Amino acid sequence: MASADALLLRPAPGADYRAKSRLRTAGLTVALFGVAGAMVALVANIVAGVWSGQAGRAARVPEIDAWSFGLNTAAFGVVKVSIAIVLLGILRRLWLRVESVKAALPVLKAAPEGPGAVQTGTINTAYGRATVSSHAPKSLLIHRMARAMWAPSLAMGFMAVAAGLVLAVVQATKVVPDPELASDLSAWVRGIGFLGEGFLLSGISFLLGSILYSLRKGGGEAQESAGGAVHTLRMPTTAKLFVGLMMVGLMVEIFQFVVYLVTTTFDQSTVASYYAWLGPVREAGLGIILSGIVLALVTIGNVLGFQFSRIKDIIATGR
Amino acid sequence: MATTHIRTDFDVEVSDRALGYNLPQRVGRALWFPMLAMALMAFPAGVVLGAVRANLIATGGSEQLVAALGQFAPAANFLGFASVFAAISFAIARILGAFRRGGGQVQEATGGRVHTLRMPATAKVFIAVMAMAMMTLIGAVVLHVVVGAAIAADSTYALGHATQWGFWLEGARRIGIALYLLAITFGLASIITVLRFQAVRVRELPDEATTTPPDRRPA
Repeated sequence: MASADALLLRPAPGADYRAKSRLRTAGLTVALFGVAGAMVALVANIVAGVWSGQAGRAARVPEIDAWSFGLNTAAFGVVKVSIAIVLLGILRRLWLRVESVKAALPVLKAAPEGPGAVQTGTINTAYGRATVSSHAPKSLLIHRMARAMWAPSLAMGFMAVAAGLVLAVVQATKVVPDPELASDLSAWVRGIGFLGEGFLLSGISFLLGSILYSLRKGGGEAQESAGGAVHTLRMPTTAKLFVGLMMVGLMVEIFQFVVYLVTTTFDQSTVASYYAWLGPVREAGLGIILSGIVLALVTIGNVLGFQFSRIKDIIATGR
Repeated sequence: MATTHIRTDFDVEVSDRALGYNLPQRVGRALWFPMLAMALMAFPAGVVLGAVRANLIATGGSEQLVAALGQFAPAANFLGFASVFAAISFAIARILGAFRRGGGQVQEATGGRVHTLRMPATAKVFIAVMAMAMMTLIGAVVLHVVVGAAIAADSTYALGHATQWGFWLEGARRIGIALYLLAITFGLASIITVLRFQAVRVRELPDEATTTPPDRRPA
């Protein structure tokens, strides 16, 4: 996605580093919109709970349950999109900060003592093993994949969640006239909704991978601008686990989607037993992706600590 | 000793030395891993409880036990969500700590005075909403366990009202998740503010390093 890279991830040279982020404002606005949708679903749940105990109104409860489930899943999707928008804002800000460091570091660094040849190889640091080179490192396969996949994942996720909402509304209208169709639609709503959530979280994961790429590439460029050795942290174990957890979690979501579709061919008693384990499985799938996101954020924290330490060394020693 | 210094563009503290982590950042550094570990235990527990319940339904097991497990399985799952979202929030606080400490140390290394961004409003909202979300989810989990335990203990009232409680607790769980996601958005928005501040501050350092060398800095 070279076009997305050029347009969204790295600002053009000379961009205003003082200007406030529009993506930050947009992300927060979209998040509040999503939470408002979740509030409507909450009210629907409270009403459904009250009506479920009233003989005259209990028949309408399945309708409310149907559309409120779809609305809530869509609301979660909207807030996840807002997180992605804010992450895009972080990506652009990271590059503006890199440009600032590149402008300041050559002036700030001390004059190095002794010969200045860069000794390439591997060193141990307080943050893990690092590679020493004379130029900024190239991107890894996983970074290229992250930069290519974040947009398609978010798009697929949003479309799936929106489709789930539409199907949930249709399901609500079919509860009374066609309960069999409503039951089938219920399986579709659950399956596609959570598949969409999985894709949205994967898109967020890919954006975090893109942030790790920009830290690696930008950190290298900043060091190179100072004319000294370029120290680059090797991929930490937390980053490897992050990639693994994201892939496993997404596979679980694809699996639950397929099984939900298969349940549309079962009789009602079999469906009930399948739903009993599919619910926890689909939640666990999201939990696995979220666990990967935790590790990505931890990796970002470690890389930042390493980079601040490295900049401090360049300022103090000039190399 | 940090002092207040008014800039027109950012609200900062000015000090001679880099400031350390603040309390939320120290908590974040200490708790992200325990929370992640708890989540990684809770989700499999939820799957196991769901599988046991599915087996009972398929084999015509006790209706009472099926209803009780119908409360325990979501309790385990949403304990997992409460934990994993807490871990994400703590990891974000940890990143903000890396910026605060590292940014201060770099400024200190140049011999200039250290400007540290005061906690932005978005970070305060992040902490407050995260606390609300955690309490909502934990409250829902506790109530699920209470209802499940009452059903398992032969309470006909609890069994008769299981559906009603199911709707209410589902609503509580949903809004808890939405609030957690909102808190995370605000936490990440705080990172944008910090990055903007650092991009501006780094470019100021060469001038200050030249005009105010360490031996002529004001006391």
